Amino acid sequence: MKLNRFRKSVGYAVIIFSSLIMILPFLTTLFNSLKTYAQYTAFPPKWIPRPIQWSNYLEVWKLGAFEQYTINSVIVTVLSVCGALISCSMVAFAFARLRFPFKNTLFMIVLGTMMIPPVVLIIPQFVIFKSLYMLDTLTPLWIIEWLAQPFGIFLMRQAFLMIPKDYEESAKLDGCNPFQIYWKIFLPMCKPTFATLAVFTFMTKWNEILSPAIFLTSKENFTLPIGILSMAGQWSGNEQYMVAAALMSLIPILLVFLFAEKYFVQGTNSSGIK
Amino acid sequence: MGVKPLTPRIRRRRLNSDSKWGLLMVTPYIIHFIVFVLGSLLASLYFSFSHYDILNAPQWAGLANYKKLFQEPVFWKAMWNTVYFTILFVPLQTVLALILATALNQRLRGLKFFRLAHFVPVISSWTVILYVSDAIFNPRFGMANSFLLKIGLEPQKWLQDERLVIPLLVMIAVWKGIGYIMVIFLAGLQNVPSDVYEAAEIDGAGVFRKFMHITVPLISGTTFLVLILSTISTFQAFEQIYVMTGGALDASSAGGPNKSSLVLMIFLYQEGFTFLRMGYASAIAWVLFVILFILTALQVTLQKKWVHYE
Repeated sequence: MKLNRFRKSVGYAVIIFSSLIMILPFLTTLFNSLKTYAQYTAFPPKWIPRPIQWSNYLEVWKLGAFEQYTINSVIVTVLSVCGALISCSMVAFAFARLRFPFKNTLFMIVLGTMMIPPVVLIIPQFVIFKSLYMLDTLTPLWIIEWLAQPFGIFLMRQAFLMIPKDYEESAKLDGCNPFQIYWKIFLPMCKPTFATLAVFTFMTKWNEILSPAIFLTSKENFTLPIGILSMAGQWSGNEQYMVAAALMSLIPILLVFLFAEKYFVQGTNSSGIK
Repeated sequence: MGVKPLTPRIRRRRLNSDSKWGLLMVTPYIIHFIVFVLGSLLASLYFSFSHYDILNAPQWAGLANYKKLFQEPVFWKAMWNTVYFTILFVPLQTVLALILATALNQRLRGLKFFRLAHFVPVISSWTVILYVSDAIFNPRFGMANSFLLKIGLEPQKWLQDERLVIPLLVMIAVWKGIGYIMVIFLAGLQNVPSDVYEAAEIDGAGVFRKFMHITVPLISGTTFLVLILSTISTFQAFEQIYVMTGGALDASSAGGPNKSSLVLMIFLYQEGFTFLRMGYASAIAWVLFVILFILTALQVTLQKKWVHYE
């Protein structure tokens, strides 16, 4: 009994210490975003901003670029999430429930392609989007999600496999075709898996840097992560605005996490389980 | 004309309709596979044997790209940097994440809060992390230098220091990614039946022995997966180094002082997209591919030696 309590205290000590290491740098950054430039660059640094410069957050919007980057990020993320949900669930339904030629071969291919490092595919992707005149537009960033990525297929297929056969059989007797069964019966029954996939796609796309860095050249097309970095020149001498901009770009994903923490964890585990 | 039996015909019709719908519904993936996987793989392989600058058609060059690559000191430096980064990062993150998960697994209160705290870095983009780490490691006005001065040590240049840049990047990467790995471990730990621990406790095993002799072997499947996944993703690390060593402002400057943090992916990016040497960049990609393939195969072979499945 005593040993157990001792062990728990050690556990708490470890985890509280670790949480502080996680959170304190963010708190410091939050304070930095509320400083004047003089305070921001003061050495030795003062932790608490004085005066509290709330206007930093307003300044970020004044240039207009940040607003544009936010709109771009929202477009890319929303279209990606829709694309992933529709295409992955549809393909997964076929793999889970329908019989068609080459099904098993094709599913092995899905699993196999999960192991191909994206590195080797980047350059041909660039060439493809160039020949489609899609470079320097937002299209390459989301259109690929409409073509059913393996992780999403795998995740949705697992969910569909759990649904008892009776449902589709009675629907079949009522004259539903496979697409109707998928749309009217299977989709509504798998909302949690949908949420998991949505949250995961959201996180990936909102934070993505490699693809925008490759496909985009004009500043007005940038998404938030690279857009903010590209503003450095305009704000030299006022870098505290960049900090405010970066923290604002964190807000949407933080909100998604707070509301859908369960699905984040599920997605994390299923991506670990293969 | 003979009357055909009714049932097989109906069954065949249904099968056909199923096939039709099945093929129709997997079409997105078929397109994906043909264009973005198979086609892309073949194209990439072909590019790696040619000179290709995007503007003109690729010119067959045989092994020229690979020969040049292996004679290039920068390539070997990038290779070493990548290996160095991975060797530091993967074990450190795995061990620390396992310790954290073990601590959290004792049915502590406030699990949700702790998980949130460890997930904030996970869900942040590298741009956000850049400013968070700048608050600490800015060479002019960061907290870390202020602390070093206070305890009587020399201030450091941190990311601008050739020797410090990779260890520091590794530290930040561990800090960012640990919550993610921790949750994977936590799921693994929750599958370990508690009666095994109880039995060990009756036999008088201490905390450390239980950890080493029960926890570690019983979750070795999870550990193995974490090791494979993080090695493979670390070998392809791009975003962190691109953002934190100034690549977003000037792609040719990414890779830190004196190319001390130039990893293979940054090298590939610069050759391909800054200098438009697409053939050469494809050769780098294929070298990376082969390394990753060998690593995976090696780990799968080694797995048999030390992973205990129930």
